[in-house]
Amino acid sequence: KKVNMAAAEKSTKERLLSVLDDLEVLSRELIEMLALSRSQKMPQPGEDTQILELLVQRDKEFQELMEVAQQQGKVHQEMQLLEKEVEKRDSDIQQLQKQLKEAEHILATAVYQAKEKLKSIERARKGSISSEEIIKYAHRISASNAVCAPLNWVPGDPRRPYPTDLEMRSGMLGHMANLSTNGVNGHLPGDALAAGRLPDVLTPHYPWQSSDVSVGMLPPHHGNDFGLEPPGHNKENEDDVEAMSTDSSSSSSDSD
Amino acid sequence: MATAQAKLDKESDDCSLLPLVHDIIKCMDKDNQDVLQELGKLKAKIQEAREQISNMPGIDSSPLEQQQQLATLREQVRTKNQLLQKYKSLCMFDVPKAS
Repeated sequence: KKVNMAAAEKSTKERLLSVLDDLEVLSRELIEMLALSRSQKMPQPGEDTQILELLVQRDKEFQELMEVAQQQGKVHQEMQLLEKEVEKRDSDIQQLQKQLKEAEHILATAVYQAKEKLKSIERARKGSISSEEIIKYAHRISASNAVCAPLNWVPGDPRRPYPTDLEMRSGMLGHMANLSTNGVNGHLPGDALAAGRLPDVLTPHYPWQSSDVSVGMLPPHHGNDFGLEPPGHNKENEDDVEAMSTDSSSSSSDSD
Repeated sequence: MATAQAKLDKESDDCSLLPLVHDIIKCMDKDNQDVLQELGKLKAKIQEAREQISNMPGIDSSPLEQQQQLATLREQVRTKNQLLQKYKSLCMFDVPKAS
């Protein structure tokens, strides 16, 4: 039993080689024994037959093992075919895996973009402003000449296409700079004008000083379009917006 | 490959060493001088068999181990086939090529 167990664990090659070694040793022993008995003329019955029996047994074993080895050779061929098939399947699976990865990447990108879109939609929904509000605000800005100067603007005219100092202070930048000191307030362009820092040539006649002059300087149909309110009115802008929208509509009807 | 197989067949057909041993004993009985030649034949035959054995494919394991390996390989092919079948039966989309 022990021999069988060991034989089962050993490879066929090892077993074949060991049986072949046994055969070699046994055949040599038999021949030597025969030669010895022949030269000494002393027949030794028993021992040679024992060796002969062993030799025959080993030879039979060797042939059986060769049979087994041949069968294993056939199985080996089958295994090689199977290995090739496994390799082919592996490459197929890898190809599929690659495609799936690609698909995953595309889907992940799409999901990310969709989420970003949803976020911006949500943001827009939260900060929604009515169009009327925007138009009102636009009116307010244009009424104070903050965007565009009147056509008849000349140097020294305090109506200006830029924010006043006061407006700058009330804005975000003003808050950031923490310009809370009220003393700086004095340096308005209008004040510079009042202090006579501008050349004399420019000081005498300003269109806003008298409404008659201003109307006279402008082409008749443009007269009221530029709403020549005194700049001091800027603080009451909200009222101005209402006033201006009605003014402009009435003025256009007037000019017709 | 075919020649190797033929050689193997031939080897297994007359792999017995007994005829050669028998020839040697016969020569010794007759006090024939050919005994050395016969001994040389036996030696050559054994050497040839050794080479043959070391060149035989698939005998590096016992038949039992080999059967286990074969079963493992068959199982692998079966599993991989199943996996591929499963993937192929999935709903696939046409991947648009990035332009």
